[in-house]
Amino acid sequence: MHAVDSPATAPPAPAPSAPSTPDRHRARRRRRPQWTPLILAIPTLVLLAGLLAYPLGRMLVLSFQDMQLRHLFSGATPPWVGFDNYKDILTDGVFWSVVARTAIFTVVSVTISIVLGLGVALLMQRVSSGVRIAMVITMMFVWAIPQLVSAQIFKWMVDADFGVLNYMIDQIPGVDFANHSWFADPTQGWIVITTLVVWAGIPFLAITLHAGLTQVPQDLREAALVDGASSWQTLRNIILPVLRPLIVIVTTLSVIWNFGLFTQVWALRDSKPEQEYQTLATYAFTQAFGRNEYSLGSAISVITVILMLGVMAFYVKQMFQIGEVD
Amino acid sequence: MSTPRSQRSRAGTVAANTVGVLFVIVMAFPVYWVLNTAFKPASEVLSFTPSFWPENPTLDNFRSAIKAPFFLVDLRNGLIITTTAVAGAIVVGFLAALAIARFRFYGRRALIMVVLGVQLVPLLALLIPLYLMLNRANLTNSLVGVSITYLVLILPYTVWTLRGFIAAVPRELDEAALVDGCSRWQTFYRIILPLTGPGLVATSIYGFIQAWNEFIIINTLNNPETQNLMAWLLQNQTNRGTAWGPLMAGALITSLPVVVFFLAIQRNIAVGLTAGAVKG
Repeated sequence: MHAVDSPATAPPAPAPSAPSTPDRHRARRRRRPQWTPLILAIPTLVLLAGLLAYPLGRMLVLSFQDMQLRHLFSGATPPWVGFDNYKDILTDGVFWSVVARTAIFTVVSVTISIVLGLGVALLMQRVSSGVRIAMVITMMFVWAIPQLVSAQIFKWMVDADFGVLNYMIDQIPGVDFANHSWFADPTQGWIVITTLVVWAGIPFLAITLHAGLTQVPQDLREAALVDGASSWQTLRNIILPVLRPLIVIVTTLSVIWNFGLFTQVWALRDSKPEQEYQTLATYAFTQAFGRNEYSLGSAISVITVILMLGVMAFYVKQMFQIGEVD
Repeated sequence: MSTPRSQRSRAGTVAANTVGVLFVIVMAFPVYWVLNTAFKPASEVLSFTPSFWPENPTLDNFRSAIKAPFFLVDLRNGLIITTTAVAGAIVVGFLAALAIARFRFYGRRALIMVVLGVQLVPLLALLIPLYLMLNRANLTNSLVGVSITYLVLILPYTVWTLRGFIAAVPRELDEAALVDGCSRWQTFYRIILPLTGPGLVATSIYGFIQAWNEFIIINTLNNPETQNLMAWLLQNQTNRGTAWGPLMAGALITSLPVVVFFLAIQRNIAVGLTAGAVKG
């Protein structure tokens, strides 16, 4: 949904013919107030201001009011309540359990995804080309499937009565998994959700990291081999340091995405996640649209944004550095 | 010395290939399972012993998905919304990208900051004010409201990506054209636009995928008759109980455009991802 969701967030390679210093000098010398670029940028700025900046401000205002359904219909200004919404939320044990759950899920799912993604990327380097092509094609398909669809697929596979997963586990001698409900126990339910998120996330991670691996200088590896380094030493001392910036970026992105987990839970829990399945995103949504507590939902959203800012600041810095190159 | 190593490495390759094939099977299984289900008759879908191959393959599920309430309406809605949003974002975004890539002006850095910064606002957080805003403007339950929302959704990324494509066109070409007596407009029309053509296509496809996949906004703002297929998939499941066969057929149809576009652009993906990142 965000641009950062996209496979091509990073800009294409900077042109080799980026303006050289003399060019810049010339541009600087003939600089005068330029209206053309501002006019070009106006439509974009107007749209961003109207549909992103304004709602953002509105959300902030709303979080200090108490908006009810009747205000929505009458258009009357809701009463101001100061920090009451925040007080309600921050003193609510349920909210903190949601925060804790979201944080734990994020750490666990991102760790598993990154380790597996790196493992698959390294594996891609080691296999024969035929197997590698099969791996890439499979991952492309998985990557291309919309989140909502993959959530539906998993829902079907773990279905208590007709799901293929129960059937396959049931085949193991001595195990009875017929009609087993995967969501009755939240731990099992979260294992399913995490598996889905990791499964859908691996293609992006593995293909990105594999592309990064191809940039590791071959002579460095050969030198390490000649010096008698073990594969583990090569990985630790040569490959990982070169991959570091890339790993930092994909980890940050994964944290942002998984922290905002919504779709998978929403679809797997029939659009009404139980208490044990709420994440910050579904919780804010349920408060706002399920119970028409728009102000409470706004306050939760504001807190979520603040929580995410730490991670995002880091990402902005990375993106900005890339953007400054040309 | 070299013989044992190559032998060890051959054994290693066999082991690696085995793991690789296992990986492919595990990863591909869910995809296979949709295909398998979508072509099974209802009796086979709801059998307690799942069959790993449709024994009597049928297109019934596709037929009943297409005949299901709102399926075709929502398919058409999705196409209209997505096309409008992408076309709008490309036109508006190209202008801003041109400004960033080709002009050094006061406020350029600020513009870049804005374009990058807004991408980081979690969309879901904006849903409440967006809903209130569009509700007041009478734009809920309309395709216009969602189209504009999606346009803005893909706009920052459109600007940023197009900026890269424009920057890749050598400035010398612009300058040569200007020297040869072209106006600014002609330079744009004859040099930059044709040379960024492939970039425009790639960017539109990404935008299409983003807009096509979105469902939370449209599901919140609109009724079933003004939703898209994603929202249909969700509603279909909750309102009528789960008819798995038609649902999987619907899921296949819904993801088809994305899969096709995705495979079309897959060559550019790795390049786009690592550019700058590794060197940065």
